[in-house]
Amino acid sequence: MIGIFKSMYITFATMLRTPVTIEYPAKHRDVPQRDRAFPILLWDKEVDEPFCTGCHACERACPVECMTVTMKDNPLHADEKSTRRKIVDEFWIDYGRCMRCNICVEVCNFEAIAMNNTWAGHELSKFDRNDLVLDLQQLLSQHKQDKIDAWVAE
Amino acid sequence: MLALTYDVGNIWLDSLLGVLALVALMTVSALMLIWLERKISARIQMRLGPMRVGPYGLLQTAADALKLIGKEDLRPKTANRWVFELAPFAVFVPTFAALVTIPFTRDWAIAFLDLGLFYVVAVTGLAFVGFLMAGWASDNKYALLGGMRAAAQLISYEVPMVVTLVAVAMVAGSLNLSEIVLFQNRIPLFVWQPLGFFIFIVAALAELERQPFDIPTAESEVVGGPFIEYSGIRWSMFFLASYTSLLIYSLLGSIVFLGGWEWPLGTEAGLWLQILLILVKTSLFIAFFMWVRFALVRLRIDQLMSYCWKVLIPLAFLQVFLNGLVLVYGWPDGFLLLTSGAGLALAMYIIYRAVDTEPRELRMVPARGGGSSAQAATVDATGSG
Repeated sequence: MIGIFKSMYITFATMLRTPVTIEYPAKHRDVPQRDRAFPILLWDKEVDEPFCTGCHACERACPVECMTVTMKDNPLHADEKSTRRKIVDEFWIDYGRCMRCNICVEVCNFEAIAMNNTWAGHELSKFDRNDLVLDLQQLLSQHKQDKIDAWVAE
Repeated sequence: MLALTYDVGNIWLDSLLGVLALVALMTVSALMLIWLERKISARIQMRLGPMRVGPYGLLQTAADALKLIGKEDLRPKTANRWVFELAPFAVFVPTFAALVTIPFTRDWAIAFLDLGLFYVVAVTGLAFVGFLMAGWASDNKYALLGGMRAAAQLISYEVPMVVTLVAVAMVAGSLNLSEIVLFQNRIPLFVWQPLGFFIFIVAALAELERQPFDIPTAESEVVGGPFIEYSGIRWSMFFLASYTSLLIYSLLGSIVFLGGWEWPLGTEAGLWLQILLILVKTSLFIAFFMWVRFALVRLRIDQLMSYCWKVLIPLAFLQVFLNGLVLVYGWPDGFLLLTSGAGLALAMYIIYRAVDTEPRELRMVPARGGGSSAQAATVDATGSG
């Protein structure tokens, strides 16, 4: 009997509390700074070129082999605008294969790659899985447009 | 309702308008009640409930209804065709018919019957036939079990319900619902008969097959009971009927025990005030029924039955007896309040005893036939011999 009243009281008291539900697509809760979505490339604003030199370190370290990198001579180095002799030519990351292990960020010698810590890194549903293979421009665009406060490994 | 506010002259047109008004009321109220129940359950579980379709999800049930209408009307191959297909109507029609005589305000009812209370109780009591038909015709063991449980429960709880309503009718001196309301223009009946009020609420919960009395349709035991084989429009008819009967019992409770449109504003209150009063009282009942659903756990079938036959029915007869004493000897109403309150306390004490008793200690004996127990038995026999 007392239990009945107690349960009635508890349900009523809970009814007056604010719901904890977040209406997800309409409202986004804040993503933590160290959130680990998919890797993106960073843009060196001082020289106006990617940090990435195309050294293949991340490509070799990647356990699921989702990356493809090619390297070229840096034209800006010839003009003596940049200290980088080599620069990335093409870069593809297959987000369909990536397992978000953070190893590419850890092995990068130039702090050129970071994990996406925004919602844009999570909401990536596509109708075709080929659309999940991102090229250099797509990988760079988010940091180039200052839309991300990225974290890199020391 | 329409027929009473506008005199259309033709009796057929008149009844047609009344039926249309009732159908509209039933549908809209069922849609609203389902939405309300989902919202209340959500808030009790700290969720938001339906939010997407319409403002605050108000149109969610309309969308669900549309989906249900669009679904295929399935019938198992081995089901008894006509009984299976007519069962939803056998549930739907009695609830619909009961709504006919409920007076919403002083002037608003489809029919003011002198035996209104009797009619409502008699007609709603017929709904169990539909559940039994559905359970039997589905050719499914869970459906049959659920149908049988529904029949047992509905018939059992009809008795205390009717007896308390008889007690009310004794004091009010009429079976006409409007006159019962008029009788309560100063003090509503739940003040004088708290025991009867309590029994009415419990019996109504059981009649509605709502938690904690949802044994016939318990998902975890009989996976939906009689409704298990139904889909689409027929299933939604069962649902519509169940929410309409929730509305009917709430209306009946507010009319019979809470003074309907009358108390506390008196007979001369305007139409809108009357509507507001009955709306508030009915909503209180509905909110309570929905609240209880998420607060209490389901009873076992034997607990349900023994609670009805051993507790509720004797107490209901006690209420009738007390009313008889007061009526015959002309004792003051305060006596009724005292004794009925004592009866309520007794009912509470019985529940307290039942809930708080220690579970019976289970005595274990070795089973016969098994290897180890046979050995134990021989050892025992030699020991005693």
